Amino acid sequence: MGTFLGLSLKQPSNLTKLIVLAGASIALMVIDAGHDYGARAVREVGQQASHPLQELAALPFATAHVVLKDAQDNQELRQENRRLAQRIERLRVKVARLNALQAEVAHLTALLKGSSLPGYRAGLARVLDVSSGPFTHRLILNEGANDHVFSGQAVIDAHGIVGQVISVGRDTSQVMLITDPDSGVPVVCARTGLRAIVFGTGAPNRLKVPYLTVTADIRPGDTLVSSGLGGVYPPGYPVARVTEVKSNPNLAFLKIRAVPAAHLNYHSHVLLLWPKGQHKAYAAHG
Amino acid sequence: MDNALNLRQRAVILASFLLAMILAIVPLPAAVRLLRPDWVALVLVYWCMAVPERIGVGSGWILGLFLDALYGSLLGEQALAKAVLAFLALRFTLRLRVFPRWQQALAVGVLVAISDLLVILTKSLVHGTTPLWRDTAPMLANVVLWPFLFAVLREVRRRAKIS
Repeated sequence: MGTFLGLSLKQPSNLTKLIVLAGASIALMVIDAGHDYGARAVREVGQQASHPLQELAALPFATAHVVLKDAQDNQELRQENRRLAQRIERLRVKVARLNALQAEVAHLTALLKGSSLPGYRAGLARVLDVSSGPFTHRLILNEGANDHVFSGQAVIDAHGIVGQVISVGRDTSQVMLITDPDSGVPVVCARTGLRAIVFGTGAPNRLKVPYLTVTADIRPGDTLVSSGLGGVYPPGYPVARVTEVKSNPNLAFLKIRAVPAAHLNYHSHVLLLWPKGQHKAYAAHG
Repeated sequence: MDNALNLRQRAVILASFLLAMILAIVPLPAAVRLLRPDWVALVLVYWCMAVPERIGVGSGWILGLFLDALYGSLLGEQALAKAVLAFLALRFTLRLRVFPRWQQALAVGVLVAISDLLVILTKSLVHGTTPLWRDTAPMLANVVLWPFLFAVLREVRRRAKIS
């Protein structure tokens, strides 16, 4: 086409373009440096257009940041988890103790119910110590002569006869359990009325009933209650349950095993029995 | 040589510029930031060499304007530099093409350095800052990067059949 000042107008040369655009650039810079409103508008448009690009450029770093933060959160959550697990463990221990207390309450309630034995007055005693070797099964109670405890006094719990007091101190007393090898409790079989004596064996939770002839009517599962003979134990109170009856033709007597009715291994408290009427007399002795 | 670019080929060139811009503004640790090459300038030089009838002073100027917005620098600062760079690249494109690779890298480095100097000059004129030696670090990075960038972009160009 035509020319303008010697330059082709159809296809402006690169130099022409450069000169024009350089002029435009310098003009823009001058305007922009002058904080002109129009230049600012142009800049804002440009910035808005480039915003997605900036977002894109920042994306990997934002992601890394998120990942790092996640890792940190993870760490914190793990720590919290561990802390909470420890707390649960502590609370479990507490619950276990509460359960134990509840069991004790139930036990005491049962003892109180068991204390309504006719002709006897019952008093609660705490078990201080337990000695149980092969030859001695003893309890130490926190009641002694000052509390009118006397030697030969019957000791029971909610389920059956525990034993008898064999020695009395000022503030403590020693109880021989019915599983003690020295212990013998006169009993009758609740089903048949058969008289027998239950001996301790020295083994925990095992009793024997010797001197019953092979003709005696006794079976596993029979309950043996105290007969009251001998005057130590209250009559009619459970002593043991027969678990095993062995008959050997070569021997004159049956071999009978029984387990105590009282929960001898679970005691924290037991009941001391004072026969009504005798109490004062023994108290006077004591 | 004069066949028009189809849409896909235009998109490829545009995408290469966009990628270069992203690389130009990706946040980097301070130690590495100094060595960040001028991605956009190098890509511009490449396309000026490859399709001088399509990418030239005008494209460079628009690109520079966009960079100004991106950098937040004075409007026209990068535009001027990139227009000058495109002009220089077009001016020497035939010679650049026949140079061996390392010599080409040096030459391109010099061209980009000239445009960079223009930017530095503008900055010192407008803001009154003194040019620093460390501003030359990206120029060295440009020289090092060029051969690799050239190989990659040539592959891209061949795949997209941009002649």
